[in-house]
Parts: sequence; C-alpha cells; structure tokens
Amino acid sequence: MKLAELQAAFCEAVFSDTGPGRGDGILAEIAATETLSAADHLTIYRNSIHGKLIRALREIYPVCRRLVGDGFFTAMATVFVRRYPSQSPNLGDFGQDFATFVSGFEPASGLAYLPDIAALEWAWHRAFNAAGDEPMELQALDAVSEGARGRIVFRLPVSATLLASAFPTHTIWEANQDGAPDCGMIDIDQGGIRLIVWRQGFELRIEPLDDLEWEFLRAVDAGRPLAELFDGSAAQDRVSLLPGCVARGWLAGFSIQENG
Amino acid sequence: MPQSPNEAISGAGIGLRSCHYQEILQTRPAVSWFEVLSENYIADGGMPLHHLEQIRASYPVTLHGVGMSLGSSDPLNFDYLRRLRALVDQFEPTYVSDHLAWVSIGGRYLHDLIPLPYTDETLAHVADRVARVQDFLKRRLLIENPAAYLSFQCSAMPEWDFLTRLVELTDCELLLDVNNVHVSAVNAGFDAAQYIHAVPRERVKEIHLAGYEVEQGYLFDTHGYRVHPPVWALYRETLRLLGPIPTLIEWDTDIPSLSVLMDEAQKAQACIDRVQGPVR
Repeated sequence: MKLAELQAAFCEAVFSDTGPGRGDGILAEIAATETLSAADHLTIYRNSIHGKLIRALREIYPVCRRLVGDGFFTAMATVFVRRYPSQSPNLGDFGQDFATFVSGFEPASGLAYLPDIAALEWAWHRAFNAAGDEPMELQALDAVSEGARGRIVFRLPVSATLLASAFPTHTIWEANQDGAPDCGMIDIDQGGIRLIVWRQGFELRIEPLDDLEWEFLRAVDAGRPLAELFDGSAAQDRVSLLPGCVARGWLAGFSIQENG
Repeated sequence: MPQSPNEAISGAGIGLRSCHYQEILQTRPAVSWFEVLSENYIADGGMPLHHLEQIRASYPVTLHGVGMSLGSSDPLNFDYLRRLRALVDQFEPTYVSDHLAWVSIGGRYLHDLIPLPYTDETLAHVADRVARVQDFLKRRLLIENPAAYLSFQCSAMPEWDFLTRLVELTDCELLLDVNNVHVSAVNAGFDAAQYIHAVPRERVKEIHLAGYEVEQGYLFDTHGYRVHPPVWALYRETLRLLGPIPTLIEWDTDIPSLSVLMDEAQKAQACIDRVQGPVR
C-alpha cells in the first residue's frame, strides 16, 4: 500500500460505525505482536481518537452533558465525531455543528430546547477564544461628515453571537452552571428569549435583549447602513439605543459604506 | 540556515496548562521554562493568548505542536503554518517542535499522533516536508519520537535509523521523549537502551518525560501520571550519554496542582545536576 492509501484506509477504519473488521485491507498492513492482534492495535487508536474528540465536546458542552446525562451524551457525541470530521489542527475549532446535529438526532428529540442550549454553549466557547475588540468611542461618530452619516455601517464585536430561542435557554443554562443554586423547576413553556453572548474586555458576558435591541443588533449584524437602521417609525427609539450599545461593547466600530 | 535559539533554556521545565494560568501569574513560581502547546494559541486572539503574553514576560518558552502532520499525504497546511509563524514571531520560543507522525488525512484531523511506516518512500516524503517547514519558519525544527501502539508490516528500518537519516537529510534537531521510547519499546518489543544509544546525540536539544498507563497487553501514553521508575532509569542513562539536556515534564489528563508538576520537575533537575558535561 502507498502511504496515501494506507492513511486513508486507517482513517476509514477509525471512524467506521463497526470498528475494524476482517475485510479491512488496513489490518494486513499492521503487525501483530505477542499480546495483541492487528485489530487490537488499530482499536487502541480508534478508542484514543474517539476519546479525545468526545472529551473536547464534553468540555465545550457541559450543560448539554448535564441535561442528558453522561452515558447519553457520550453516545450522542460518538455519532457526531464519526459524521462530522474535524477540519482544523486546533481541537478548539471542533464541534461547531453540534447544535445542528443535535436538532436532527432522533433519540434527543424529546428535549426540544437541547439544540438551543448547544448553540449557546458554542457561542460561549467562541467568545472565549475570539479576538478582542477595542472599545468604540461614541464621539468618533462626530468626525463623520453630515452627508456620510447615513452610510455608517456598525460592526458587532468579533466575539459576539446573537441567539433566539423559543425556550428560556438562558435560565436553563444558568441553573446548570457549577455551583448554581437550586432554582426548582423551570417552566419551559414560559416563553422564548433573545440573547447576546460576547466578551467585554476579558470578561465573558451573556445578556437578554428586548425586542428593540434585538431588531437593531440583527440589522447591524446583517450589515445594514445607518440610514436603514434609523428609518421608519422606530427611528427615534433606535437612536436612543446607541449610547447603551456602545457602553456595553455591543458595537465594536464602524465603517462608511461606499456610495452606489 | 537556521538562526540560533532566541534564548537558551536549561534544566527542567513544565508544560503550560490553562488551569495553572492564575497560579503562575499570582505566585511567579521558580520554573526554568514553560512549554506551550502551539495549537491552543493559534486562534486570532482570545483569553489563552492574553494569558500567554503575561507569562512569556517572565519565563522563556518553547512551542510544541501536534498539528503539523509532517507524515501526512495531504498537502502541508499553510494556514496553520502561517499562524504558527506569527506565534513564533510574537513569543520568540527557544525551540519549535512537532512529531514524527501524521494527524490528518483527506483534510480530516484525527487529533492523535499516528505512527508512520518507516520506509524509503516515507523518509523522502517526511524529509521534504520538514525541509519546507523549516524554510517557511526560517529555523530548525525539533522532531519528537511518538509513542506507538502499532507498527506497520512494511517498515524496513527501526525508528532510530529513520530519525538519524531524517536529521542527515534535513539538518533538523530532535526532541527525545524518553517515556515514548519506553512505551514504544514495550509495545513493539525492542530494546529501549539500544534506541537511546543509537540516536544522533549532538542533535537532541530537549527531552520529554511523562507518565504512562498500564493497559491489558500494552502501555498507553496518557500523560496523566507521575513518571514511572523504568522511565526514570532510562532517563538517567540518557543523560549519562547525552549530557544535561533541558527536560520537560508533560501532563495532559487529570492535570494535578502546579506543585505536583514542580515536584516532578525537581526530580528531573536533580538528575540533570548529577550529570557532568557541557551545558547545551
């Protein structure tokens, strides 16, 4: 076997659903030893690789793990690591699609809020590792000429994620942090929530958004210029949001859109 | 080609782990140097880099990677290498190391160090990649021997011969993991002492020590224990042959308090102190 073939066959055997079988060509390439068969040797790597990837998911998704229990989480994560290849040498990049996967994972369908919890945990993980932003100064807007103001495009912090859920994900997440006080039962039908997760300086933050803030930040996230942000009936309310958004670090800067 | 290291390291160092950031920054323990896992800091920013910047201000560091995938048939990952080069420029590590192994194929990362078949084909392939990475980073790499739980039928030479020839072809240097030598020797049934005697001595710039786990029929390199007695014995023999080489205590699973790591480092330091020879 050429090196490329050998590596491809090895990888396939590692992530197969059934583990190395007699038909696998890769087994003929591996030397048996006194104590272990070729399949035993391959299984050591299979277990080690699955173990590392599952451990990475356990660290990123502790609340999901707590909600479904250790055994269920491991079974779910095992399916995920086989179907979703890690594509970065940095293990911290692995697991981005977990929320999408969980939403289609039939055995977890009884916990309708679980994908949203996973999305929140990924946003938290991402905020921890994202580049920082210098705080924006509101006065910087004064330097923009009158004619160009409508073309100002604000930017959310690199660390920010906006999340909407039909469930009280924030409450569920808080109640399942290490050392959180027992808050009794959470009524999952109490209504949904909109959240922003971001890092302010060196502090990770999560905060609920009201309707106005949500609409405003969504529009910023979509790259809409100031003229459109402050257009229409809600314009005055939205203008009043600006200082608060800047103070909390929800706006990290702006640029001027080209004409035309 | 390569420039001399930015800053000499000596004695026993410790692998930097995130759970110890605060204690290190608050107590500034007497540690000779820290080894930094490159992949944990190749993001565009974030908290890990923030902590490393503060720690680097007080300690020499080495950069140790598991993501270069030097043995893979995939093309080299230049996005990764550019990020690594930026880390090297920012933190000026004394050494940059990675493994004689492959960790990815078809763009899929396994996040585990898989051994290679030691053939002429593999040697030419790995040597070409090591040379290209060294050109790109403008410095020599230290190549580390992996812990192996299998060997391939087609291997035509022992690992120490492969490494010796790799050094000749690429002018690279070596990171000798004494624990890995012991683990691989037990698992594959070769003589660890023969390995230690055969590696090109003047090229070994750093040693790794860690604790393995005894499994049914093999040893597993978990980096989750204190260094075991047979590895200490092999280490002392290695120092006798090679001189007082800087040595790192690695611990990656069930990471204990910093004081336990410092205790292990002190044992290594005591071994180093007993060795006569030129400090390198």
